[in-house]
Amino acid sequence: MGRSPFVLVGLLFALSAGAHHGWSEYDSAKVLNVTGVIKEAGYEHPHGHVRLEAAGKTWLVVMAPPSRMENRGLATADLKPGTTVTVVGYPNRGKPEEMRAERITVNAKTIELR
Amino acid sequence: MTAAPGDAILRAVEQSKLAAAMRGELWLYPAVEVLHICGFVILVGAAIMFDLRLFGFSRGLPVRDLARHLLPWSCAALLVIVPTGLMMFSAHAGDFVDNRAFVLKLTLLMFAATNAAAFHAGVFRSAASWDRDVAAPLGARLHAAGSLALWIAIISCGRLIAYV
Repeated sequence: MGRSPFVLVGLLFALSAGAHHGWSEYDSAKVLNVTGVIKEAGYEHPHGHVRLEAAGKTWLVVMAPPSRMENRGLATADLKPGTTVTVVGYPNRGKPEEMRAERITVNAKTIELR
Repeated sequence: MTAAPGDAILRAVEQSKLAAAMRGELWLYPAVEVLHICGFVILVGAAIMFDLRLFGFSRGLPVRDLARHLLPWSCAALLVIVPTGLMMFSAHAGDFVDNRAFVLKLTLLMFAATNAAAFHAGVFRSAASWDRDVAAPLGARLHAAGSLALWIAIISCGRLIAYV
């Protein structure tokens, strides 16, 4: 009984967290492993993003909702421009510059974003 | 896509304090989303329950009494749905107007509103003669079929905004 409010909050979180972009528009058969420098970052709803410069290409990396990033321990400060990060993710099927991040390694910690 | 004045307005919307809060506050966006869903559950639920009555289910329930019960709640729900929808729109206004599912959703919403208005201004005026225990006229059932199809399509489009 006493736990039910937490279950409800958890359920709402699960619903809202999953309720934005689907993963289907990204090709999970092509795993990308990109190390680059953050040019610009948005810790924003419904998805965070990072512009990542790597080997002459600037990727738009679509991240998780900020509430999830915060829960997993990825803070706004971790995404400062100039920081070198490694992103594992999948390319967008239609937009060659865009990828969706499965996980990110920054400041020697790896955070799952799915 | 749109002309410069339209773009300027969209940019101004995106740069508003409200839009910034929608993007930046940790729990605002999901909370607004939940309210939007609660609102349209009431609106669409009421519309579909009314449509089913027009199709002939629960004929013992007087149509006019049912309308008197459901219509005010539908209107009240709009007071939640429209502001929360605009709040989500503000966060990424430019992306929304370029989103085909969103544009189709708004178009279908206009059709649904027109369908409902035409029903109330038209065939519903004679509801006293088919209030209960008889089949609703064909015209009323056609409005109900349109309403049912449109609302399901509108919900589908709303969900697809995130996938196209």
